[in-house]
Amino acid sequence: MSTTESPTAAKKVVIHLRATGDAPILKQAKFKIPGTDKFAKVIEFLRRQLHRDTLFVYVNSAFSPNPDELVIDLYNNFGFDGKLVVNYACSMAWG
Amino acid sequence: MDMEAQRFLWEGAIPLQIHLHESEVTTLPSPPPALILAPRIGYLPLLASHLKPYFSSALPPGVDTIWFEYKGLPLKWFIPTGVLFDLLCAEPERPWNLTVHFRGYPGNILIPCEGEDSIKWSFINSLKEAAYIINGNCKNVMNMSQPDQVELWRSVLNGNLEAYQRVSSKLKLGAVGEMNSSSPRSGSNMGEIDVSGQVKPGRVPVRLYVWNVNEDFDELEDAPPIDSWDKLSYINRPVEIQGGGSYFTLHDAVKSLLPDYFVDKSLINAEALTVGGDDEQRVSSEDASDDTRVEEEVETSCDDHIKACYEYEEPEIKLVRIQGIEPKLEIPFSWVANNLMHPEHFLHICVYLKVPQVNNSMS
Repeated sequence: MSTTESPTAAKKVVIHLRATGDAPILKQAKFKIPGTDKFAKVIEFLRRQLHRDTLFVYVNSAFSPNPDELVIDLYNNFGFDGKLVVNYACSMAWG
Repeated sequence: MDMEAQRFLWEGAIPLQIHLHESEVTTLPSPPPALILAPRIGYLPLLASHLKPYFSSALPPGVDTIWFEYKGLPLKWFIPTGVLFDLLCAEPERPWNLTVHFRGYPGNILIPCEGEDSIKWSFINSLKEAAYIINGNCKNVMNMSQPDQVELWRSVLNGNLEAYQRVSSKLKLGAVGEMNSSSPRSGSNMGEIDVSGQVKPGRVPVRLYVWNVNEDFDELEDAPPIDSWDKLSYINRPVEIQGGGSYFTLHDAVKSLLPDYFVDKSLINAEALTVGGDDEQRVSSEDASDDTRVEEEVETSCDDHIKACYEYEEPEIKLVRIQGIEPKLEIPFSWVANNLMHPEHFLHICVYLKVPQVNNSMS
């Protein structure tokens, strides 16, 4: 029995990106990402899109998960309506 | 709540023997290793204030960025020191020999750390995440006054449990499972259902570190070193404590955290009852060399689903370690959650799993 073939691992997660404060709004605010990816992938994606090294990335306008957390865990714990809401800001928004 | 266990935990420390990496030694003789007692609930870069002055005269010119490694593995700074030790030292090593670097930060493996501020940021965000899991929001943490937030962080830095409880009680994160006695009744029969053993439903934030061991070893000292973070699974899943009359044990919790490994037994048993029961007898009564024949029979006599269930073999839990303790798996999980959690309200659990190698994988 291979764990990589399990249903939880195969699941893709829909991420909704929301700009906060003076952060620029992205054209593509919604994207799908494999649940097995780390949150670091989301941060990387945002850095590339916004061409910024310093970025503050939050879940549900509340907290910054650590970059090692799996997207599927974040979705299961904090997602709703079939998506995970990720806010990004260029300066610290919620401490 | 009885604070005895928490007091032990807050006073817990690991003796470290810290060597400066040879590539950063510019003096002869090279500096002797630094001996330091590191709090379990602390974070390694916080030791910089001791280590920098100690090693500074030996360092080459340049900018200091402190990081640590153990047997070649760069250590993630946001994991509490005690958890790193529990996870990476299968057989606890005392003192724990670590290597410190002040140059060449491995930015491809470790996220940047700008000293205490980064660690405090990571701590407060973990606390918010835990609060979100427990209460469905983290308003209490976000609305904390600045002095309270500073006091909370300082209490962790200084290992001051009283100060911590004074501030953290305002966060209303509560304890799970109101038990009359907060210590497990050692000596009493755990199988007996006791009214006071009832727990109220609740969600416990857990950070689970799983090492899938492929190699077989009997003694922990024979365990191979973990030389890459890729060998570990990092799982963040809350444990739901169900109410009801029976104990929800640590074993139940670990299984609920690993649904990919521990399939709900009741489903398997119901469906594979006839086949499984039949074959178990055959296997036990025949020589092991007949295994292949048994498998062939199963293959022809049942459909794929039942075959998969029959072949399914649960992994062996080699080790469950929390805060340096290897608790009995029968212990009520609410006790574990309330007494062994870290100050950011996460319970960090290290698990070594021996996953059986299945030759005939599911087709």
